[in-house]
Amino acid sequence: MVIDIAVVSLAISGVLATYRVLRGPTWGDRVTAFDYLTVNLAVMVVVAALRTGFTPLLDAALIISILGFLSTVALARYLLRGRVMR
Amino acid sequence: MTGRSVLRAARFGAGALGWLAAGTAQAAATEPLRAPSALDGHPLAQVLVLLGCVFLLAAAVGLVRFPDVYTRLHAATKLVTLGGVGIFAGAAIAFHPVDGTPRVLLIAAFFFLTAPLSGYMIARSAYLRGLPWHQEAGSVDDWQALGSEAESSLEER
Repeated sequence: MVIDIAVVSLAISGVLATYRVLRGPTWGDRVTAFDYLTVNLAVMVVVAALRTGFTPLLDAALIISILGFLSTVALARYLLRGRVMR
Repeated sequence: MTGRSVLRAARFGAGALGWLAAGTAQAAATEPLRAPSALDGHPLAQVLVLLGCVFLLAAAVGLVRFPDVYTRLHAATKLVTLGGVGIFAGAAIAFHPVDGTPRVLLIAAFFFLTAPLSGYMIARSAYLRGLPWHQEAGSVDDWQALGSEAESSLEER
């Protein structure tokens, strides 16, 4: 019951953040909503691990959160200076 | 229609109703079709997961409803940190007998370190690139003098 409520609310918040990614007036809104979407995806994978009891999914959640952080930092640096690394 | 056929139909209907009632009673006596989840039997973990989902949903609503980049960052970093750590703490409690707890705590620690950092990076690049912000009538920009310095020092870094 609780896990069903969690899945539905995470899906609704993903749809709202996707609306902000598609609609966002500036690139800052899109990068912010993209960062939120990666976090939402990692939390969804953890909730799937809770639902099924399949603990190797937690490794996937860790990799997703690391990749989300790195891609957000790379996007912010690229949009600030026009390059990611010198 | 004769009286006998009506009687037969009534008997058949009564038999069908009895069969249906017996079937539903048997279905209610057995377990419902639902797989067990790791959250069953951990009320503290259920409360933590529900709180985390409420905070994540509030962050998404703020992401849609707030007027500019900086207020949307305010919604999408603080609330997301709280909600994600709540869900990860609930998962750590629910996974406690099996081997899931150290990994969930590792994810929570990494997340707690990196979520404010990515929010800071987005806010810094947005401010230095001069994205417009929402100004109400009569508001004062305290950072206006610092903004020109930041823009002039952008070429050095």
